[in-house]
Amino acid sequence: MKIIVFIDQIVSTQVKLQGVDYFDPSKVNEDDLVINPTSKNAIEGALKLKDSLEATVTAVCVRGLKPIKALREAIAMGCTDAIEIADEILYTEDPLLLAKIYVDVLEKFGDFDLVFLGVEEQSTSSYAVGAMLAEKLGLPSVLYAEEMETIDSGFQVGHVLEGGRNIVTIPKKALISVSDSQYFTPRYTSMRGILTAKRAEIPSWTAADLGLSTGVAGKEAASLQQVSLTNIVIERESYIINEGEPEEMVDKLLAKLKEDEVKLGA
Amino acid sequence: MKILVYGQIRDNLLEENLLGILNKLSEVFQGSEIYAAILGSQINNEWTGELGKHGVKKVYTVEAPELENYLSRPYVKSMLEIIEKAEPTLVMAAGTVFGEDLIPRLAVHHGVSCAQRVVNITLEGEDILFHTPVRDDQAMKITKIEGVIKFATSRTGAFFENENPSGSAPEIEKVEISFDADDMVVKHVEVRKAERTVNLKDAKLIVAGGRGVGGKDNFQILKDLAELLGGEIGATRACTDVHWIEETYEIGQTGQSVSPDIYIAAGISGAPQHLSGVKAKTFIAINTDEGAPILKYADYGIIGDLLVILPLLKKKLE
Repeated sequence: MKIIVFIDQIVSTQVKLQGVDYFDPSKVNEDDLVINPTSKNAIEGALKLKDSLEATVTAVCVRGLKPIKALREAIAMGCTDAIEIADEILYTEDPLLLAKIYVDVLEKFGDFDLVFLGVEEQSTSSYAVGAMLAEKLGLPSVLYAEEMETIDSGFQVGHVLEGGRNIVTIPKKALISVSDSQYFTPRYTSMRGILTAKRAEIPSWTAADLGLSTGVAGKEAASLQQVSLTNIVIERESYIINEGEPEEMVDKLLAKLKEDEVKLGA
Repeated sequence: MKILVYGQIRDNLLEENLLGILNKLSEVFQGSEIYAAILGSQINNEWTGELGKHGVKKVYTVEAPELENYLSRPYVKSMLEIIEKAEPTLVMAAGTVFGEDLIPRLAVHHGVSCAQRVVNITLEGEDILFHTPVRDDQAMKITKIEGVIKFATSRTGAFFENENPSGSAPEIEKVEISFDADDMVVKHVEVRKAERTVNLKDAKLIVAGGRGVGGKDNFQILKDLAELLGGEIGATRACTDVHWIEETYEIGQTGQSVSPDIYIAAGISGAPQHLSGVKAKTFIAINTDEGAPILKYADYGIIGDLLVILPLLKKKLE
């Protein structure tokens, strides 16, 4: 069984870059770059099958400033191999274009059985690429997966649903987008994995390798165009207590609540 | 201009975000015709009547046993047929799990991208602008879509319904669709509903915990404080998913929506999916991370460890 996991690399939301600065590559250090959290959940989903079904898992990273870093971590977690897609002309802000690039990667890759990806790209709240890719490939799919088990006909998958969990079955050749859940909690990298990742040769494919030009995969081809990106200024005045001993802090809070006539409790 | 809204049915009712979307669309696109599509195994007249009251002129319905539960293929097939009939300029759905599954797929079939989780829609000349918060709501990204039909989902909880709707009964057009085996390749097994034994909707005070609570046993600290203050406890999905607390306590997009007088958020970072379920008069946050987005929404905050702060707070209030 051949499994492909598409992962995103994002700027960690833990870094102290506020608002629009977060999206400015000149303000980002390499240390700030991490694998998108639900991409890690997707890697875990693929690795669970690698263990149980003797599958191979290939990680592919298109979206990120230094995809190679994310891919080495994916190998350190246990992926069999990885492919970097790096080319300045590729525009990945539009989910439809990103889905198109993924389709071309899969075509060049050849036979595959399962496609995994994270349900959401955390920094932009973008979730559409999984559904778009499944639709473009005509592949049966399930989004927001929270748990899965192998059955004779394929997989039984539970996915997030407002007010509960929805259970469906999908065939063996399918696409699964994975959300943050206990079942898909990513494993840590092992020392052996880190050493393997260090030595791994990761091929790098360019737009030309995929037969893509700016006209079809560059910014000018995007149907979703960014008009502006601005900081959100919240005018709400917050009273934040950030220094002092815990007891002092609590006293301060209670005093302020009293002053503002906010009553805690009945 | 014509607009088509996907009329999702949830628990035998119109999805709660739908009426808010209709209100927003009527406000932004004055003079436009708003249509809705309802798919299911049995269509209830109350749903179509309610949509009419909220300004929908025409409802397309597809009734078929294959549509009893949401599955991508039969729903996409039905909606594509309706889009062809209705010829809308804009197609919208609430950003629920199923809305987020459906809209991107419909967009693909029309060769365009889609706007996601919008919290506002504005017009600039001929362009429809979609406003989506990014980076944990620190920045606003405004996008437009090039294409004859634009597709978008709203963020759940973003829009408010018109409390005095005055629309009339809509025209109904029944659409017949036939499905084959290939449409039903993904099979529905069951819905496991989260047990909702606690109703947090009426709670006046809620002490809610997130990942920062750190473990099952620590929820007792939240319970102790909530009990003292005559309130309830709540949690983010991250906590209910790892079974630190029963799922009935989940608050947010996939849990309960709450509107207490006081909301104490302990160890909650402030993901939009959680915050979209909270409308509190007074918001108090306790978090170790000074950069946590929740502090921007809090009226009051303490940067500190909830395991230390909450017991102290309880002690002082006793």
